[in-house]
Amino acid sequence: MSAVEQQASFAEAIERGSMSGRLWFYANYHCNLRCSYCLTESAPGVPQRELGHERTVELAREARELGFTDLGVTGGEPFILDYMPEMIAELGSELPTITLTNGTVFNDRRLRAVEPLADLPVKLQISLDRPDPDENDEMRGPENFAKVVDAIPKLVERGVGVRIATTLEDPDAVDPEERERLCELHRSLGVPDEDHVVRPIIKRGRAAGAEMGVLAGFEQLEPELTITADGAFYSPFGPTVRGGRLDTDLLISRTTSPLRQPAGALARIAEERPAGDDAATGIR
Amino acid sequence: MTTAQTQTAAAPLAVPAVELIEPDQAPILARPYFGEGAPSPITASLAHVPELLEVTLPFVGRALGPSAIDAHTKEIAIVRTSALLECRYCVQTHSVIALDSGLERGELLALRGEDDVEAAFSDPREIALIGWIDAVAGGRGSVEDGVAEAAREALGEPELVELTMVVGATLMLNRYCTALGLPTSEATLERLAAEGLE
Repeated sequence: MSAVEQQASFAEAIERGSMSGRLWFYANYHCNLRCSYCLTESAPGVPQRELGHERTVELAREARELGFTDLGVTGGEPFILDYMPEMIAELGSELPTITLTNGTVFNDRRLRAVEPLADLPVKLQISLDRPDPDENDEMRGPENFAKVVDAIPKLVERGVGVRIATTLEDPDAVDPEERERLCELHRSLGVPDEDHVVRPIIKRGRAAGAEMGVLAGFEQLEPELTITADGAFYSPFGPTVRGGRLDTDLLISRTTSPLRQPAGALARIAEERPAGDDAATGIR
Repeated sequence: MTTAQTQTAAAPLAVPAVELIEPDQAPILARPYFGEGAPSPITASLAHVPELLEVTLPFVGRALGPSAIDAHTKEIAIVRTSALLECRYCVQTHSVIALDSGLERGELLALRGEDDVEAAFSDPREIALIGWIDAVAGGRGSVEDGVAEAAREALGEPELVELTMVVGATLMLNRYCTALGLPTSEATLERLAAEGLE
């Protein structure tokens, strides 16, 4: 298949919905937090495995040419990297971009640095799991709640798009009263209901070691190309780390550039993939 | 073409130089090559780079597997090349396959460099083939005209081309398996022991 034919078939696969139009980047693996359910065992001392500013932007440009519809950035904590605001602005100039962050690193300097994102199709997705500080911080670490509820209004005031992601062991089992208090909280912070997502803990990485979360493998996950320093993966839930070792069960290729190579491989996998129940698990 | 041309296979490393990927960690594109049982160490190591695995294994299968050339002839090429390259894994693994393909024990020992080839083989076609293998796998630079002419006459051009590719693919695997210290399977070692071989 020629490069042009491959590009066309890939764009068709996205259009048909057999694979996601979002391309994910793992910016890094290190983090200022050590959450108990972290997929990647991220923490302050782990190897950084940084994808890199220029490489990410180059891949984003190629993604747009290939027919991807939007971008995602995750980690680790991306905003530990000083170039992240500038890089996200460049990504947002290519395609709509969502960046996952724990929301705890937005000091005055970083708040100023993200101000240009207000004019771009960019949103920051910040984790906030529980409406009560103690319960929230039990899984995410001391002072997490206070830092997040401090940062969100400051970002909203600056016009930066903010979503809130709530990650729970069993979203269906949450007390309705607690859920309502959480929603009241995010509304009070300036984040509307349509920008609040609730999702289950995924039983990979540190969560698997703690026997938490729902199983998520090839059959349960949507094909969603994910680029890391270690290669291209089937899903952003693929490049997980357990016991310090990278999981390879959802690895597609070590080659990430040109992007059409792993994108073509993912399209081929997506075409042959048996019908799964990813929608039912709410993992998306 | 004597026993002096080959040497004892290199001693195995204590552990492979890379992790052999277990079936539950097999990348999506590698899974069809893992099959039901334990994967070969070549598959389990190549799985680190699935895009390489999915082109290498079909190529190796086509080059070394069933084709217009009988298995007995192919195993002569594989065992002899592996012995010249001192690849322990390939010599051990293909010694068993060679016996199963109909090679006599004496022929196998000669190919492994443990006996005299001219005493073990009498078929002029096979002798010409071994001369060709020794020149291709054991030599450097161009092959002597006389050796090439003898091989072309004995084998014909299509077979010479294919067997040269068998030697080339084996050379690649020899260096791959030796450099990464891939372990021979327990089943192969047991069979070799039963045959009185190492």
